[in-house]
Amino acid sequence: MPLRRFATFLICVLAGVGCSSESRERHAGTPEDPWVIGMSQCNLGEPWRVQMDADVRAAAARHTNLRVIFKDAQNSSLVQRAQVEEFIQQGVDLIIISPKEAAPLTRPVAEAYQQGIPVIVLDRAVQGDQYTTFIGADNVQIGREAGKWIRERLGGSGRIVELKGLMTSTPGQDRNRGFLEGLELDRHPGLEIVFTGEMQWLEPNARREMESALATNSEIDVVYAHNDPGAHGAWLAARAAGREADIMFVGIDALPHEGQQYVQQGILDATFLYPTGGAEAIELALAILRGEEVPRKIVLGTRLFTRESVGAGGQPIN
Amino acid sequence: MSAEWRVKLRGWWTTPVARALLALLLMIVIGCVFSADGAFFRWSVHRDMLRQVSVFGMLACGMTVVIITAGIDLSVSSVLALAAVSFAWLALPQGWPAVFAIPVVLAFGTALGSVSGALVARMRIQPFIVTLAMMVFARGLAKVISGGRKITNYVTEADGTTRLVDLPRIFGIIDSKVLGGNLSIVTIIFLLCVLVTWIVLSRLRLGRHIYAVGGNEEAARLSGVPVRRTLITAYALSGLFAAVAGICQAAQETHGDPETGMAYELDAIAMVVIGGTTLAGGKGSVVLTLIGVLTIGYLQKILSLNAAPEATRLMLTGAIIVCAVLFQRGK
Amino acid sequence: MTATGGEPIGTRRGSGAEDPSRRQPIVVMRGIRKSFGPVEVLHGVDFEVLPGEVHVLAGENGAGKSTLIKILSGVYDDYSGELYVGGRPQRFSHPNEAVRAGIATIHQELSLVASMSISDNLFLGREAAQRFGFVDFGSQESQAARILEETELDFSPRQLVGELPISSQQILEIARALARDASLVIFDEPTSALNEHEVDSLFERIVELRRRGRGIVYITHKMEEIYRLADRITVLRDGRLVGTAAANELPPSHLVKWMVGRDLAVRSGGRPGPSAEPALEVDDLRVAHPEIKARSVVEGVSFTLRWGEILGLAGLQGSGTSEVLHALFGALGRRVAGRVRLCGQPFPLRGPRESVERGVVLLTNDRKSFGLAPDLNVTHSVSLASLSRFCNRGGWVRREEETEAVRSLTREFQLSAPSFDAPVRTLSGGNQQKVYLACCLLPQPRVLLLDEPTRGIDVGAKADIYDLMRTWVGQGIAILLITSEMDELLTLSDRILVMHRGRIAAEFTRETASKDDVLAAAMGLAGCHERGGVE
Repeated sequence: MPLRRFATFLICVLAGVGCSSESRERHAGTPEDPWVIGMSQCNLGEPWRVQMDADVRAAAARHTNLRVIFKDAQNSSLVQRAQVEEFIQQGVDLIIISPKEAAPLTRPVAEAYQQGIPVIVLDRAVQGDQYTTFIGADNVQIGREAGKWIRERLGGSGRIVELKGLMTSTPGQDRNRGFLEGLELDRHPGLEIVFTGEMQWLEPNARREMESALATNSEIDVVYAHNDPGAHGAWLAARAAGREADIMFVGIDALPHEGQQYVQQGILDATFLYPTGGAEAIELALAILRGEEVPRKIVLGTRLFTRESVGAGGQPIN
Repeated sequence: MSAEWRVKLRGWWTTPVARALLALLLMIVIGCVFSADGAFFRWSVHRDMLRQVSVFGMLACGMTVVIITAGIDLSVSSVLALAAVSFAWLALPQGWPAVFAIPVVLAFGTALGSVSGALVARMRIQPFIVTLAMMVFARGLAKVISGGRKITNYVTEADGTTRLVDLPRIFGIIDSKVLGGNLSIVTIIFLLCVLVTWIVLSRLRLGRHIYAVGGNEEAARLSGVPVRRTLITAYALSGLFAAVAGICQAAQETHGDPETGMAYELDAIAMVVIGGTTLAGGKGSVVLTLIGVLTIGYLQKILSLNAAPEATRLMLTGAIIVCAVLFQRGK
Repeated sequence: MTATGGEPIGTRRGSGAEDPSRRQPIVVMRGIRKSFGPVEVLHGVDFEVLPGEVHVLAGENGAGKSTLIKILSGVYDDYSGELYVGGRPQRFSHPNEAVRAGIATIHQELSLVASMSISDNLFLGREAAQRFGFVDFGSQESQAARILEETELDFSPRQLVGELPISSQQILEIARALARDASLVIFDEPTSALNEHEVDSLFERIVELRRRGRGIVYITHKMEEIYRLADRITVLRDGRLVGTAAANELPPSHLVKWMVGRDLAVRSGGRPGPSAEPALEVDDLRVAHPEIKARSVVEGVSFTLRWGEILGLAGLQGSGTSEVLHALFGALGRRVAGRVRLCGQPFPLRGPRESVERGVVLLTNDRKSFGLAPDLNVTHSVSLASLSRFCNRGGWVRREEETEAVRSLTREFQLSAPSFDAPVRTLSGGNQQKVYLACCLLPQPRVLLLDEPTRGIDVGAKADIYDLMRTWVGQGIAILLITSEMDELLTLSDRILVMHRGRIAAEFTRETASKDDVLAAAMGLAGCHERGGVE
C-alpha cells in the first residue's frame, strides 16, 4: 500500500534527522559557513509580531556571517515547543524565541540551553533561569509614561476615556495599571475617567465603544487606547460625530506602518513605542556567538512619538 | 367586529415574524430601562448601532440564503477580510478608481462563494467542511496579498521608499451619513442587501428552488429543480454579500486589515438563528434575519452604553441567543 | 351518547352486551375529547380493547384515529375524558409512562436506531445496568439471542439493525414490545412498507400475540387486511364514533358506508379506449444495481405505452417496477441503458429537468422522502415543478398567475387545506398526496409515471384520485401505473405488465387479467403466459 510505503519513508527521514543531530558542531560564523539562528515567533497574526520578525530580518541582513530560520507557531504552545525541538535537531547555533506562554515552554527552552545552545527569550518570559538572556519591554512603565504625559498635557484637569485591550491578557492589565499610576488621580481631583470600554485590541470594537462614550458624554478631552488601532477606531468614531478636533488621541505600540503613520497624519496626538526587541536580539546574538559576556535581562525603554518628534524617530524616555 | 379582529390578531401573534419582533421589542424595552442617562433616547445612538451592525447584517443576508438550503457558510468572515484587503490593495497602492476596484472585488467574492458552492453541490462534501476549508484558505490568501500587514494609505514601494497617498473619496463616501446625518451609508447598503435577498427569496424562481432544495433535496431534483445550480448560486450570493461587507469594512477602517472580521461568521449565524430561521433548512426569511440583526445590535449597544465588562457581555449574549430561540418555538 | 349525524345504519355501540366472554378490557377510553387550539377534533369517543383480540380502528384520514392513538400512547396529555388501563384510571403525561403501563406502539416509521446493534436496540432505554451505570452487554446479548430465537429471526444480536430488511425490523420492534411486557400493542399501518411475504409473516406474529392473550389495536386502510385480522372493528368519522362491531357482522359495503358516509362502489368503464398511437416506446431497458455493477435490477424490458392508456405495471417488491419508472424519468442517471422514444422521437433520459420539460412526470411512492418539502406552503409546493411557466425572463415569478393556476387545479382535486399559505406538513396525509399529485399535474404532462399514487390515503380520497386519472386519460394523457393494491390495478388498467426479477413475466389485457394469474406471474409461477421470460 502506498500509505505504508509513505510511513516507512517517514520513519527513515525521522531516523536520518535523529542521526544527524548526534554530531553537533558549531558553524564557523564566516560568510562561507554562517551561524544559523532559529527564530520561533508565537503568532504572526498580530502586526506587532510581524514587525518583530521584520526587525530581526532587517538586523540580520546587515551581517553576512549569519542566517536566520523563521518559524511561526500559529498561536499554539505545542507547535512552538515542537519548533524549539526541531531547532535542537537541526543543530542551530542560537535560538531566539518569543514564547506564547511561560509554563509550557520552560522545559523545551531549558533543554536547548542545557545542550549548549544559547537561548534569547523575547518579549514574554519563561520560568526559571535556564536561558541565556531575556529582552523585553515594561508595559506598566509604558502605561505610566502615557498617564504622566496625558496628566501634564491636560494640566491636571480633564475628562478621559480609556479603551482597554483584552483584560484577561497581561499587557492589557499592565497598560491599565501603569496608566492609573501615571495619572495620579488621587492627587489630581480635576482628572476624571468618564468612560472605560473593552475593545479587545480590535479596531471595529474600539469604534463601537467610542460611539457609546460619545453618546453618554458631551465633553471628552482625551482618549487613551491600549493600542494604536484602538485609538484609530476611536478617532474614526469621533470624526463621524464631528468631534475629533476637540479630543486628543493617545495610543501605544508605535509601529512604523501603523501608529507612527497615524501621528504623522495628525490622527493621533501621541503614541508610545512598545519595542519589539528584534534588532537588539540580533546584536546580542552576535555578541553571544562571539563569546562575549551579556546581561541576563535587558529591559527596553519606550519612545514617545508626537507630531514634532515623529520625523526624528521619536524621543527616548529614560 | 372585535371577535373576528381578535382571532386574526391571535393568528398573527403566533407567526415567526411576530415572535421575532417580540424579542426585539423586549430588547428595546431593556434599552429604555438601562438608558445610560437618557443616551438611549437619542437617535444618534440608534444610528450608530445601525452602522455598527450593518457589516454583520450583510453577512447574515448571505448566511440566511445558505442556511435555507440546509447548508452553512463559515467562510464569510474570511471572504470579508480578503475583500477588504483586495479592495484596499487595488484602491491604495495600485490607485485604481472605485468604479473598477469595486466590481472586481465583488466578482472575486462571488467567485470564492461559487467555489464553495461547487464543492458542496458537485463533490457532495458537507457544507461545514467545505466552508471551513474556504475560511482558512481565504484568510491565508488575505495575508499573502497584504503581506501580513494592514494595507493603508502609507504605501511602501518595491524599492523600500514610502509615500503617502490620499485616501480615495470612495472610502469617505461609504463611511458617511445622509438625511441630515441621520443615517449611515453602510446602513443603506445593508438595507439594499436585505432587499436583494428578499427579492431573490420571495419573488424569483431561484428563491423557490432554494427553499425546495433545503426542504427536500430529492423531491426538488425529481421536480426538475436544477439542484446543483441552485446550491452554487446560494453560496455565490453569500460570497457576494461578504465581499460587499468587506468593502464597507475597509472603508470604515480606512485600511485593509487581513485580520479583520475574525469570528464574524458566528455573529452572522446567531443573527439568522435568533430571527427564527432554523439550521435544518427549508424555511426562514430575510425579514426574520433583519429582526435578528437588530436584536443583537441593540443588545451590543445597550451593553456598550452601560460599559458592561466583557465577561458579562459574553454571558448575556449567550443567554439571549438561547432565550430568543426558545421564544421562537413558543409555549 | 355519540351522535352519528342521522346515519340510517344500525350501530352497535359499546359492544359489552355481545361480548362473548366477560373478560376485563385491557384498556377502556370513555368520552375522549381533544382540541387543537380552538378546533375540537375528537368529540367524545369511546373505545376499548379486550385481551386476545385484534381490534381494528378504521376511518378516513382526518377521522381522528391517530389523535386517539396518540392519547392512548401518552403523546398528548391535554384531553378530557377517562382512560382506564387494567381497570385503573390513568393519565399518561409522557410516552414513557404508557410504555411502562404496558402499551407499546409500532409506528409507520420504525423507531429503531439503524446504526446500533439488534441487542442495543432491544434494550434501548432500559439497559441491563450494573453499578456506576456500566451496561452489562453480555447479559443483554444472551437475552437478545433468546428473543431472536423465539421470534424466528435468523440474525446475530450484534448485527446492525440498518442491515436488516424492513420486515425483520418490524418484527424486531414487536419483539421489543414483547420484551417490555406489553399487554397492548398498537400497530399504525404496519404493512405500508412490506411485500406480501413479509405481510404474511407479520400477520403470523400478530396472530401469535392474540393467542397469548395480548390486546392488539390495528390501524389500516386496506380492506383485505381488515378482514384477515379483525375480531372487532371500530369506525371513526370526523372525530366521532360511528360504531363498533364484530368483524363477521360488518360486511365490507357496510364498513365503507360507515367510514365514508356514502356508497362508494369502484366505478369502471365509461371512457374512450386508448388510441393506437404510441406515446412511449421502450426497447430493451436495463438498469444496473446501485452497488453491484455486474448485477441488474431491470434486465431488458420492452413495451409500448399508448396515448390515453393506463398501463399497469405489477410486481412484488424488488421486481424492478419502481426502477423502470425512475429510469424512464431519467432519475437514475448512468445506471440506465436502452432505447426509449417519446412521440416517435428519441428520448435520451438525461435527467428529471429535461423529462419535465418534455412532458414526462414522475410521482414517487414515497411522498415524504422524495415528494414534498415539508415547510413549503401549498401554493409553492404545487407550482414547484412548473415554475418556468410562471416566470418571465429575469426569473421573476408572476405570482397572480401562479396562484390562479394552483387554485383552479386544486379545486379539481377537492383539496382541503387551512390555507394556501400553510406549510404542507400541516395537511392530512390524503391532502398532502393530493398536493403532490397536483404538483405533478400542473406542468401539464403528456406522460404520467405514477408509483403508488394512492398509498396511505383514505377511501374517499382514493375514489377522487381514480376519477381524476380517468379524466386525464380521457384527455389523451398516457399513464404508467404501479400499485400494490390488486383491485386498483385490475379496475384502472387497460393492460397489465407483470414483472418478476427485473423482467416482464406476463402481459394481460383488462379482460384476461385475474387476481390469481397476476399474483402467480408476479411470484414467478407463470412461465406459460404469452410473454413468459422466466427460466
